[in-house]
Amino acid sequence: MISNKDRKEFQGKIGKQILRKVYLRSIPMEHSWNYERMMNLGYCYAMLPALKALYGDDKEKLTEAMLRHMEFYNTTPYVITLPLGISVAMEEKMAENPENFDKTSITSVKAALMGPLAGIGDSIYWGTLRIIATGVGATLAVQGNVLGPVLFFLIFNVPNFGLRYWLTFFGYNFGTNVLGKLEQSGIMEKLTYGASIVGLLVTGAMTAENVYLAVAGKIGVGDDATTIQSILDGIIPGLLSLGVMGIVYYFLHKKVKPLTLMFIMMVLCIISAYFGIFVPGED
Amino acid sequence: MLLQTILIALLYLLTSMEPFFGTSLISRAIICGPLTGLIMGDLQAGLIMGGTLELAFIGAVSIGAYDPPDVASGTILGTAFAIQAGAGPEVALALGLPISTIMQAVIAIVWGIIPTIWMHKADKKAAAGDAKGLEWQMWWAGILPVLATFWIVPSAFYFGNDTIVSLLGIIPDFIVTGMNIAAGVIPAIGFAMLAQMIMNRKVAPYFFVGFFLVQYFGVPTTGVAIFAILLAFIIVSTQRQQMQEVESDDF
Repeated sequence: MISNKDRKEFQGKIGKQILRKVYLRSIPMEHSWNYERMMNLGYCYAMLPALKALYGDDKEKLTEAMLRHMEFYNTTPYVITLPLGISVAMEEKMAENPENFDKTSITSVKAALMGPLAGIGDSIYWGTLRIIATGVGATLAVQGNVLGPVLFFLIFNVPNFGLRYWLTFFGYNFGTNVLGKLEQSGIMEKLTYGASIVGLLVTGAMTAENVYLAVAGKIGVGDDATTIQSILDGIIPGLLSLGVMGIVYYFLHKKVKPLTLMFIMMVLCIISAYFGIFVPGED
Repeated sequence: MLLQTILIALLYLLTSMEPFFGTSLISRAIICGPLTGLIMGDLQAGLIMGGTLELAFIGAVSIGAYDPPDVASGTILGTAFAIQAGAGPEVALALGLPISTIMQAVIAIVWGIIPTIWMHKADKKAAAGDAKGLEWQMWWAGILPVLATFWIVPSAFYFGNDTIVSLLGIIPDFIVTGMNIAAGVIPAIGFAMLAQMIMNRKVAPYFFVGFFLVQYFGVPTTGVAIFAILLAFIIVSTQRQQMQEVESDDF
């Protein structure tokens, strides 16, 4: 157990100033978006002010923390400060009490949030707010009214930047207070186990949704013709994407570099397109 | 003409940097259209064309792994050419749609490669504990693909529509198709890395539960997450009960 005095001392390390920096750095979240690990670099970049404050004088721990936040991340960019705030709080706890803190819980909590946040964020920002902004803005614009683009921009971006700011502090407080109480009552371990269940379930779901491969070709003629892919889907849907996942998982396990894998995949895809083996996704 | 080309270059550069400015939708037609109109000296036409194109492109947003057409290039060039030809918004739309689609193919290739390479450079900096170095790689990861592609739009404006469309037509179809297929399978690397981190024998089946919930029942990710949270709660609480029973057996 740590005494309350120590706790207070460490609480000083993450102040409002640092959280504000994290917020500002969350704005270019998608600037470094990449196909392999998506928002990972943006996430790590946004975490840096906090990581520097916590581990600045311990290079080994800073390195470890930076690598931790270079892992895959993707969600709706407008709500990214919620997991960022929680991560900052968890890193602070970790710095405070490294022996009794399960490092993987930081990743598990992040991963568990990713899917639900993307679901909620996409439907609020892309599905609702943008449609309202377009509805108001485009109606005025087609009449030649300058207010059209101005209102479009404001309706979307006032919540974008405003809520983003608020979520930074909300996430941090949630991570500090709620997760802290759980740790004290010894539930943290169970929460980590629970979070890894949620994380894996959601990872599985996102794999099914985002990894897509379909084989070309048809059997039969005319109206009776069925695509080979629909037969495969009849046996087990998503069999090919699961296969791709398995192969990639295997090679990563064998320490093949992700970038090498990516180039091999690109070349194979172009070759397969040349010979018409696979077809691109329908969406 | 030269001044307009420079202004169009600046406009497209700015809108290409949209992710840098908080993904604030500045690349949407309703913003690019009026600004192009301003450059071409006809704000009214720009507003009308921008509004029209915005409605046409309303479905073109990146959700999940879907790569939408590049709305900004289509809107800027479509509006500029239409105003230049003294035509209406329908001409802007007819020109804008194919330009957006072709431009997206180019962008997908460049953005598919460059940010990942610089992300790996950042990985190395992280492994070396070099925070400053990582920050620089983060900037380059986003700036380089913009620099590699933004000049296409002002060049197309300067040299004319026909020239650029035939130029881009040189890229064989199978490469574009291949890149489309690749866009479907490359996310597997990220998910595999994520799974690898959380995975152990005890929880491995949950990955497949999540996968097939979507494949068979089409449950959206939010739905899977809700069930996942409930399931985790049930499992963790029954586990605690079992542990308590074992403890009481010991007595």
